[in-house]
This record gives sequence, C-alpha cells and structure tokens, in this order.
Amino acid sequence: MAQQLQSINLVAPAFKGVNTEDSPLAQDPSFAEIADNAVIDKRGRIAARKGHEVITTNKTALGTESIRAIREFRDEAGNNKIFSVGNNKILSGTTTLVDETPGGYTITADNWKMVDFNNNVYFFQRGYQPLVYSNSSGAVQTLSSISGAAGVTSAIYGNEVLAAYGRLWTADFTNNKSTIYWSDLLIGHDWSGGTSGSIDISKVWPDGYDEIVALAAHNGLLIIFGQHSIVVYQGAQAPATMALADTVAGIGCVDRDTVQYTGTDVIFLSHTGLRSFGRTIREKSMPISTLSKTITKDIIGLIQGESQFFRSLYSPEENFYLLTFVGQETTFCFDVRGVLEDGSFRVTRWPGSKFSAYERLANGTVYIGTIDGISEYKGYSDNGVKYRFKYFSPSLTFGDPSRLKILKKIKPTLVGANSATVFMKFAYDFGTSFSTTEFTVGNQQPAFYNVNEFGANSNPLSEFTGGELTNQRSLNAVGSGTTVVVGLESDINGFALSLQEINLLALMGKTV
Amino acid sequence: MPGIGDFFDELLGVGGAGLLLSAYNRLGDIGERGSREMGELAETQLEQAAFRPYTVTSATGGRFGITQDPQTGQFQYGLTASPEEQAFQQRMFGGAGSFFESAQLDPALREEALFERIRATQRPDERMERLGLEERLAAQGRLGVRTAQFGGTPEQLAMERAQQDAIARARIGAMEQARAEQMQQVGLGQQFLGASYLPQTQLLSAITPGMTAAGAQQQAQMYGTGLFGEARATGLEALLGASLGQANLAGALGGGLLSGALGSNYSFDIPPVG
Repeated sequence: MAQQLQSINLVAPAFKGVNTEDSPLAQDPSFAEIADNAVIDKRGRIAARKGHEVITTNKTALGTESIRAIREFRDEAGNNKIFSVGNNKILSGTTTLVDETPGGYTITADNWKMVDFNNNVYFFQRGYQPLVYSNSSGAVQTLSSISGAAGVTSAIYGNEVLAAYGRLWTADFTNNKSTIYWSDLLIGHDWSGGTSGSIDISKVWPDGYDEIVALAAHNGLLIIFGQHSIVVYQGAQAPATMALADTVAGIGCVDRDTVQYTGTDVIFLSHTGLRSFGRTIREKSMPISTLSKTITKDIIGLIQGESQFFRSLYSPEENFYLLTFVGQETTFCFDVRGVLEDGSFRVTRWPGSKFSAYERLANGTVYIGTIDGISEYKGYSDNGVKYRFKYFSPSLTFGDPSRLKILKKIKPTLVGANSATVFMKFAYDFGTSFSTTEFTVGNQQPAFYNVNEFGANSNPLSEFTGGELTNQRSLNAVGSGTTVVVGLESDINGFALSLQEINLLALMGKTV
Repeated sequence: MPGIGDFFDELLGVGGAGLLLSAYNRLGDIGERGSREMGELAETQLEQAAFRPYTVTSATGGRFGITQDPQTGQFQYGLTASPEEQAFQQRMFGGAGSFFESAQLDPALREEALFERIRATQRPDERMERLGLEERLAAQGRLGVRTAQFGGTPEQLAMERAQQDAIARARIGAMEQARAEQMQQVGLGQQFLGASYLPQTQLLSAITPGMTAAGAQQQAQMYGTGLFGEARATGLEALLGASLGQANLAGALGGGLLSGALGSNYSFDIPPVG
C-alpha cells in the first residue's frame, strides 16, 4: 500500500542562526549547521549579507596594505573628515587616500585607535606619541606640539584611549599594564595639570594580577577590561573621587577593538565568547551565559588561532554586531534584535571576509576597510566579486531518529535571488557527500518610472514591477537515511537572497 | 694800851676771820663734792643706761640677738634660723636656682621636646586615620590614584592637610608652651627665691614682739636710770643745799664777828650761796 508522504516544513530555516554546540540530532530545525555570508533579515529569515563597494579610487598612499582602522571625525562646526590608518600612515579621505602622517613621525605599526574629543580627533597606539587633528589646525600633529601640551611623555603612550566624561583616558602601555591616565577636563593635550591624574589598579584586580586591555564608559561607570577580569568604577565624572563599584573575576576582554556600545549595553569579546557587560555584571554570581553560546567552541578556536587582530562593529541600522578575526578572514555576525532562549544572539558566519576595519558613520552608513581602501557596506557583491551564501540545516530526524527517511521532494521558497543559480543539497546519515540539484531563479526586471517603460523600438521592457521576487521550486530528491541534512548554496552577485522556507516531503521507512 | 676790849675785839676778829675762812673752804669742798658726786652719778647712770645685749627666739626656733663687742664696743646682731628653716631655705634656694637655670636654657630644646611629646600623642591617631583611609581607599579601589590637583586622592590630601595642620599646631603649641614654661620657670624661681627668704622674714616678724619687749625693758631701764639720777641729784642738791646753808651760816657768823671786831665801819656782806 502506498505510504503517504510526510511533509516537514522548515519555516524560516536557520532564523535562530548557527548552532554548532548542541547535538545535531537534538537540535531545533530553526538552527543552522552552517549559515555562511548570511544575516537574519528584517523578516527574521536567513538571507545573504550585503557586499561592499569600494569607494576609494586612489589608494597609492595605502600601497598593498589594508586599511586597519577608520574614523569619522566630526566637530561642532559641522566639519566632517574620514581618517583611516594603514601602511604605517595616517590617511584621510575616502576616494583618494591622503597621507596625513606628520613629517618626521615614523610609524611601524597600524594598531591605532582613534577617538573624537572636544573638536579634535586623537590617535593612540602603544609606544607612539599620540597624534591629534583639529579642523582649525588642518593637519595631524603630535600631541606634544600642541600649545599648552603638558605631561605628554612616554608614560601616556597607551594602546587604549577612551573619550568619556569630559576627558581622555588612556591605558595599556608598553611597561605598565595596570595604570590608567586621564587628561585634564576637556583638554586632551594636558596630562599633568589641572584635574588630570592616574590610577594604578594593580592592587584592585580580583585575581591578583591582570593587564588592562580596554576601557569603556557606560552609565556613569568607567569599565576597565582586563584580560581575565573586569573592574568597574563609578563616579568617573570626577575621577579623583571615583570609587570601585564592582569587579568580575574570570571574565576579561580579548582585544580593545571588540568593545562596542549598543546604547544600553557594552558588548565585548571575552576568551570564551561574546559577552554583554550589563549581563555580566547582573549574572556574576550566577552561571554566566554568553551571547555566543551557540558557537562557543568555534569562537574560542578562532580567538586562539588569531595571529593578527580583531575588528568589530555595531550597527543599529543593520541590527548586527560584527566580529572579525582578521588573520583568519572570518567574521561572525550577531543579530542584536533579540536573543534566543539561552540568551545568545543569533549568529551567522561570513567566511573569507577580508575586512580589516569598520566604522559606522553618523548617518548609519557602514564603512569597511579592506586592501582596496574604504568600502561601503552595500549592494550584493564584494566590489563586483560574488560571494557564496550557504545554508545547511542540522541533521533532521523528522521526530523519529530510528526510522529510515526517503526524501522525495525538496521545495525551497526563496525571496529575491534574481537570476541566481541555486544549489540545493542534501545528505543522509551525517554524510559529507551531498547530493546536489540546482536551479536558476527567474529574472525580474524592476520597472522604474520613466526608465524601463520604453525599450528599444518603443517596446516596453517592463511596465510594472512584480514586487519582491519570490521563487518556489519543487525539486526531486533521492536516497534514504535516518537523518537528513538539507543545504542551499548560491553565489550572491548583485541581488539579495532570502530563504523563506524549505518544505521537505519524505516517506518514513522501516526502523533501522 | 689794848684793853680788854681790844682783846675781845682782837679775839672776835680772829674768830670771825676763821669762820669766814672755814665757810670759804667749805664752799670749795661742797663744789668739789658736788662735782664729784655728779660725776659719779653720771658714771652710774651711764652704766645703768648702757645697752644690754639680748636674744629673741621665735616659736619655730629662729633666733635674733644683739651683742656688743667687748673690745670695740660695736654692736652686732645675729639672726639664726632654725635647722628646719635653714633646710627649707636651702631647698628653696636650690629650687630657685634650678628654675632660673631652666629658664636660661635654650627654649628650642624644650620646644622640640614638647613637640615630640605632642606628636607622640597625635601619631597613633594619625596612624589610625591613615590606615582607615587606606582601607577605605582600598575598598574603593583608589589606592593607586594620583592627581595633579590633589597629589593623591582628595581624601588623602585632606587628611594630609589636617595632619600637617595638627603638626603645625603642635609646633606652635610647643613654642608657646616652651615660652610659657620659661616664664613659668622664671616665676617659680622668683617664688622659690622669695620663699627662701620667708623663714628670715618670718623670723624677723616673729622677733618684733621680742624686740619691743627688749625696747620696753630698755625704756624701763632708761626710766629707772632717770629716776635714779633724779633721786641722786636731788639728794646731792639737798646735801649741797645743806652744805651751802652751813657755809652761809658760817660765812654770816664769820662776817658778823669780823665786823664786830673791825668796827662798824666795816661790814661784810656775804651773799648767801645758792
């Protein structure tokens, strides 16, 4: 007797992101085993990420190096200037990168951190005299050359700088990992007069010893991230009287450039994953969950394997926190709109992303630094080069792992993916050899007013646009197994792609 | 030829002349006797009125006495305190000397000593304050704060300032105290010095009644001497008066006899003595 096909509908597959921590058999189908070059789109679907378009047309000053940091400088007069660093230079501009390095100032590393403070932009890097630019001066200058500069000694040549509470704060020096210096009030070049000062927290570390990695300011607090602990001071508006508010042992920050402010919280990368400062403080007496619990092992492996540096970005417009392991060309994209039941962010992975710097501009535009200069996060190709979107489900058992499943139909529903070739893949029983079937998504030429209405010989190309292109296919499948993994791959080259759902039709076979 | 009358006349003449001569001589004797007796009286009175040495002893054993040098006749007086008073006097003298010596010492030395004593009382509190602040700062994670404005923390500055103020006050207090003590030493020295003379003063005060009694005795002696002199002089006057009367009588008789013998052409007017 013919057996009825069993329909398993993966609605909005992988909308919970990647999960490589839980057993594939026990996983919710809403997770993905792989979600590469993907984001969670506005409708909660897994979708291809945007690409980047290189703005820079003249990168002579950058040479063959990558942009290592980007900063949008804005002052009260409305001046705006984009600074970047790379090739041991201080650069400015976007289309043409102009070398702004002060004359006679030798740079051999590009690990600069730039902050805006009181109509100036300051450049700090360990072991280097800080630099400063203001629109009035029109040039990047050494801090000591500023009129009225005081206390600009190697003691304050910190790797971390923070502009907060009316001062500059710096830490992480070559020979001093426990002291924080702060400048005089509103005077970023005075480090020995007025209300400037310092604090040595070597006796404050909860674990006895640690080294300052990063600083952050949040809700009146000065947050000092060590490698393995966090120290929080309150009342940092008056640093002479600020007092210890909290300490957290065992959780620190991996790198200065992983700290991002979300407005209501501070996100940072610890040695065991991405964490929220607010939740860390709240949960310090309880088992602490991370924001990257679904990829803990992956992220730890990447942290340990990183030989270059980390970059991160928070974009409220894109609703993501990007964390890039530059040396391993891997980026994790954490969707910050909500958290899963275990408190984790939904995460996707962008492998092969050669992004070496990020900056979110005041208007929400995201700049990306690459070897080509400065790019904008937009479009659906990496500066004209396609990238592959991948989705692979966890091993699906259809509720009965003991019985054989015989896939009959795979019916994906895609949104967008104009003219894209899509590869549907499936494999049984944890196999790595996937069966593949491909199809090409139909084309839809959008009709723009007064553009496409008339084509050659007055033949209209398209008079009306059909709205968002939705493509539903029914693909035949073969083979059988107790578990099934379904995947979808497509090269993104100019058009967005969202995976609305995948409907699987299978026959339930015998118990094996 | 001298008749009997002449005889008698001659005899009366000779007897009168003898009486006159006798009266004359007696008057001389009376004068000599008066001079002699008065000289003896003066000698006796001088002897009786002579100062008699005396000694006054106070209730506490102090003694005051006046003596006369037997050779030179000079008067000497002696004031002797009792052994207890002498001991007290010595102690007072010694104390006064010590105080004056102390007052002459460099006040800076005393000032330093006083300062150290004041600081010794302050240091434990300061240490407790410092430790307390250190604990508070440690609890607040602020031990390592260094500021251009305060040096360390404002609390450290405030504490340091308070302690420095206390040290300064201690220094000033020590200076003032040293000066006050110096003045006190001077005052005490003066008081001790004054007290050292107190036995003497008290002795002098105590002998005043004795000296009054001696004076009264002297006055009584002088009065007795006066009475003796007066009585003796009165006796001498009476004796001299009687001798003068005798002399006058003999003189008058002699003069009458002589006048009878020489006729009435001769008269002897012998004025009475006295």
